[in-house]
Amino acid sequence: MTSRRRFLAALLAASAAPRLGWAAAGSPSYIAAAREPDGRFALFGLDQGGAQTFRVPLPARGHAGAAHPSRAEAVAFARRPGPFALVIDCAAGSVLHHLTPPDGRQFNGHGIFAEGGAVLFTSEQRSDTSAGVIGIWDVASGYRRIGEVSTHGIGPHDLRLMPDAKTLVVANGGIATDPSDRTKLNVPTMRSNLSYLDATGTLLEQIELSPDLWQNSIRHLAIRRDGLVAFAMQWEGAENAATPLLGLHRRGAPPVLAAAPLADELVMQGYAGSVAFAGDGTEVAITSPKGGRVHRFADDGAFIGPVSRSDICGLAPTRTGVLASDGLGGLLAIQGGTPTLLSRANVAWDNHLVSLTT
Amino acid sequence: MKHLAVLIALAPLSLPASADTARAVNDLILPSFENFAQGAQVLHQTALADCRSDAVAPAYQAAFDTWMGVSGLRIGPSETGALSIAFWPDDRGFTQRTLARLIDTEDPTGLDPSEYHEMSIAARGLFALDMLLYDPAFNTYGAGDYTCGLVQTITADLDRQADALSTSWAEDYAEVLIGAGAPDNTIYLSSDEAFRALYTQLLSGLEFTADTRLGRPMGTFERPRPKLAEAWRSDRSLGNVLISAQAAQGLAHALAGPELPQTDAAFSQVMLAADRVSDPSFQDLDDPQARLRVEVLQQRVRALYGAIEIEIGAPLGITPGFNSQDGD
Repeated sequence: MTSRRRFLAALLAASAAPRLGWAAAGSPSYIAAAREPDGRFALFGLDQGGAQTFRVPLPARGHAGAAHPSRAEAVAFARRPGPFALVIDCAAGSVLHHLTPPDGRQFNGHGIFAEGGAVLFTSEQRSDTSAGVIGIWDVASGYRRIGEVSTHGIGPHDLRLMPDAKTLVVANGGIATDPSDRTKLNVPTMRSNLSYLDATGTLLEQIELSPDLWQNSIRHLAIRRDGLVAFAMQWEGAENAATPLLGLHRRGAPPVLAAAPLADELVMQGYAGSVAFAGDGTEVAITSPKGGRVHRFADDGAFIGPVSRSDICGLAPTRTGVLASDGLGGLLAIQGGTPTLLSRANVAWDNHLVSLTT
Repeated sequence: MKHLAVLIALAPLSLPASADTARAVNDLILPSFENFAQGAQVLHQTALADCRSDAVAPAYQAAFDTWMGVSGLRIGPSETGALSIAFWPDDRGFTQRTLARLIDTEDPTGLDPSEYHEMSIAARGLFALDMLLYDPAFNTYGAGDYTCGLVQTITADLDRQADALSTSWAEDYAEVLIGAGAPDNTIYLSSDEAFRALYTQLLSGLEFTADTRLGRPMGTFERPRPKLAEAWRSDRSLGNVLISAQAAQGLAHALAGPELPQTDAAFSQVMLAADRVSDPSFQDLDDPQARLRVEVLQQRVRALYGAIEIEIGAPLGITPGFNSQDGD
């Protein structure tokens, strides 16, 4: 009897908190962090129409998040250099786990679930050298750290899973930073790269731009279903250089740089904050909050045109276009270059919109 | 009476209303663009009558003055439009190189005002003229030379750009700002946002003046960079600082009304400091005394920025962009 009761209790414990799916958090299509009017921070779920489906308070400003593919769980990363990440139950509005990187490692603001949500990969760097590390966490055992591999570069930022669901692509920004703040230590000699790794961390392919563009820090990524990788850059070299801020890469081929006309490029101020493909894959967009602009490009890298909006930064795919968020609380659906206001909230949307579907 | 005084002192400033934006647009911005369009038109007519540098220079100076009244605005039609009118800074010498190539090859585009808008923005607008009219490597051309025709082409192109810019502001963008919050307005979702956009332009214009117009030629104490001054060939470097500060003060009042005592006092200090600068083209910055005077001017411009923040931004709770200031 006792043993049977124990068995039942154990069974109950194992499923004590039956993990709820995203429907329990209002079936959001996106998650995004924001600053609220009182100066505090929260993580929000957003549906396709830009309406809020859940809100969970955050202890500090977030950068990006990772959404579990099935459970209503999101990992919110602190701004880099990040001492913590939070696993949030978006249905219950509670914090499930505090993740801290091992000694001598710092979170770098991005992460991604893999293996159907069984594993979380986190972008990290060694505090002493800024050498890039991908942290590997086992979800089932409560987000236990189970290993790490090198990113084969300095100062990684965004990382994504390729459509084969096995290969990882990492934006090694190339910038070494002081462990205590964001002071850049190596701008004159920095060398950004884009690296593809398999699950064991083996480097499969690495691309670097020409030496005159080594100071173009590859920081954010978007992946099209056919494996075309879009990478957004931030220029660390001399001002007004008007370098391209978007690149497109297909495994095995040289990268294609997507440039805007000189005047448009200058308005971007050498800075792209987010990148996303339109849901139908026909075009790709980058944002510059410094320039208050979205730049749209065809998938061959040809410039299509700009859309203006103050402090715009977050980007994610919609079915046939992109969704953009801004620091003034706006959510704009941009389709064929025409922006439509979906909603305006009394919050400042943070850098990124994370899509739950792609 | 005592109570009344307290009440008045505590009365919060009114929130920005669309009326404030409308006043700034209608009473200041649109007339300033018209003024620039007229300046550019006179410049072109002058160049058509006599293209030589001495003959064109006075109208060039006057047109540049009118441009400085609107040069700090970098939104709407001016977002990229300002760059093909005033391509500066030009650290890599695009303007010099492109003009030299046009002249060396006698490129027919340089004589075709209807095609010239296809040219690199580095060879268009005021800074191309600055080089052709004032740089000894270019400005000795005669009435029948290629460069004479090139000057006329650039003034024609500038005239057209000024006209197009003024028209776009008047017929299109004015309504975008004033009609902020209208259902189809995705640029400004409320009147607050339009006000904020103009306020931000005002501050970023002053920041540009302090950091770039003054900061670039100052370089470091060990290595001043006078040749990086704006329009130094035409002796306009100091004048541009002054007119841009004046334009900022004007926009501050247009946005927030007549009572801006700290802003006005700070502007007077800018004038006083400018008065002491010895070389209007900042070419004597390797002299520590001269450098100090420019440094004081830079501090005064930053103080003007601070005064506007205190008198307009702070009471309205306008803070810098959440994402644009972040950087990641």
